[in-house]
Amino acid sequence: MEIILDRPRCEGHGLCEEVAPQLMHLDDDGELVLDVVHVDEGQLEAAKQAARVCPVAALRLA
Amino acid sequence: MPGRRTPPGLTVQLERIVVVGHGIAGLTASDSLRAAGFDGELTIVGDEHHAPYSRPALSKAALLDAEEMTSHQLPASTHEARELLGVRALQLDPGLKSVVLDDGSILPYDGLVVATGSRARRLASADPAARRHELTLRTLEDALELRRRIVDKPSVVVVGGGALGMEIASGCLAAGCDVTLASHRQPMAQQLGRYLSEVFLAAGLDHGLRLAPSQAVGLREADGHPLVELADGSRLAADLVVSAIGDIPNTGWLADSGILTNGRLEVDSRSRVRPDIVAAGDVAAFPTARGVGRIPLWTSAIEQSKTAALALLNGDDAPELEFRPYFWTEQFGLSLKASGFLPLEGTPEFLEGGPGGGPALMRWTHQDSSGTAVALNYRIPIPKLRRLANPAPALVETPALVETPA
Ligand SMILES: Cc1cc2nc3c(=O)[nH]c(=O)nc-3n(C[C@H](O)[C@H](O)[C@H](O)COP(=O)(O)OP(=O)(O)OC[C@H]3O[C@@H](n4cnc5c(N)ncnc54)[C@H](O)[C@@H]3O)c2cc1C
Ligand code: SF4
Repeated sequence: MEIILDRPRCEGHGLCEEVAPQLMHLDDDGELVLDVVHVDEGQLEAAKQAARVCPVAALRLA
Repeated sequence: MPGRRTPPGLTVQLERIVVVGHGIAGLTASDSLRAAGFDGELTIVGDEHHAPYSRPALSKAALLDAEEMTSHQLPASTHEARELLGVRALQLDPGLKSVVLDDGSILPYDGLVVATGSRARRLASADPAARRHELTLRTLEDALELRRRIVDKPSVVVVGGGALGMEIASGCLAAGCDVTLASHRQPMAQQLGRYLSEVFLAAGLDHGLRLAPSQAVGLREADGHPLVELADGSRLAADLVVSAIGDIPNTGWLADSGILTNGRLEVDSRSRVRPDIVAAGDVAAFPTARGVGRIPLWTSAIEQSKTAALALLNGDDAPELEFRPYFWTEQFGLSLKASGFLPLEGTPEFLEGGPGGGPALMRWTHQDSSGTAVALNYRIPIPKLRRLANPAPALVETPALVETPA
């Protein structure tokens, strides 16, 4: 599965990073960086939680 | 067998779990139950007709979305529960372990998640004709209606100076409306404290907001237009009134169940009302370092729901709720994130930037030596903001305040 970031939508809240720091982080400018795009079985749950917590649904899995 | 239990002390065997309420709390609880390995029958009952959506977006980006409103949409769920949407729970019988639904059916459960959220409070109005002029903003339909109504740039009175009222005022101003905010307290003071409320009020006035510093006490209609009656005896005329005066937890269906305490749905530190009933989100009053109460916010709902799901499955072996307050708002060109308890007294220590509305990173230290870090127009990862709020390792011990004696 792949994590897709809708960048114009992202408001840089970083709630996603909080639940999945192993997959993404906000850089020094507050821009979200996806460190992992293709998630494996073991990372799937964290990726789902990250997508869920985002209040503007800027992340999705496909 | 349905309802089969293992001996006390061991993890309870659950086969059927019912979740009542299909907001972010019900959704997160359902996801968390599955993630924790629950593969039994999961049923979600929700009286709204659509999939869960983001309420915070309704008063922010969604008011400004150009053509179609999309900011509120959440990714599709993966819990594969049976979803009964457009169906309302009417009654709970905790003895029989069943929920009565408004379609006449009765749902038995082994474990129940109460996630019915809250609804918008409205102005008291003795005049039924006036009510049609008063909008509130809680549901998707409310947001669509508000968007429809502000297209013609009506004059708007927003009642209530909390974050929601201010966000609505900001959205209406951006849409070109003439906006007056009626609030007897300084806007945002109750949420954020004096210092930050000054910053927000200044930004609001700068964007053209008018303030009526009096409490709205009623609503009437005159010549087809609404009139908001203020405590100081004056009246505000407008084309449209939007009330944002707080929320009321949806506990009506639990009234006869015997699980309410003085009308409140109180849970323990693991979000349990009793071993087979948990509650999460805006509906639940839970123990925090500042006493038992509701904290009707997005991350609060999510954290409670995760705790609740595990407690339902694993009882005392589940972790207690580690509640870490997080609040954000966007209005009048300001974007604020706060980690730690609010409101804030006195002036902050500036870690970055300085006074005024410019980008700044601030910190307040409370009497119990915990802290609150606030980022204003300053992009920062939340984990970092949390570390700034409570930097000293000694402070890790403060959660002792939360624990209720066994
Ligand atoms: C406009 C707006 C802006 C907000 N902005 C922010 C923000 O910026 N930051 C922040 O942290 N928080 C914000 N919040 C608060 C946040 O959205 C809520 O805390 C959160 O959505 C609560 O989720 P919940 O699942 O507990 O409740 P809800 O989302 O209310 O879900 C409960 C669901 O249960 C349904 N229900 C109720 N009774 C029954 C019944 N008897 N039978 C079946 N179904 C029932 C309801 O219709 C609803 O669908 C905002 C809220 C609103 C309304
Ligand atoms: S939670 Fe959403 S808005 Fe916030 S940084 Fe992550 S993707 Fe962006």
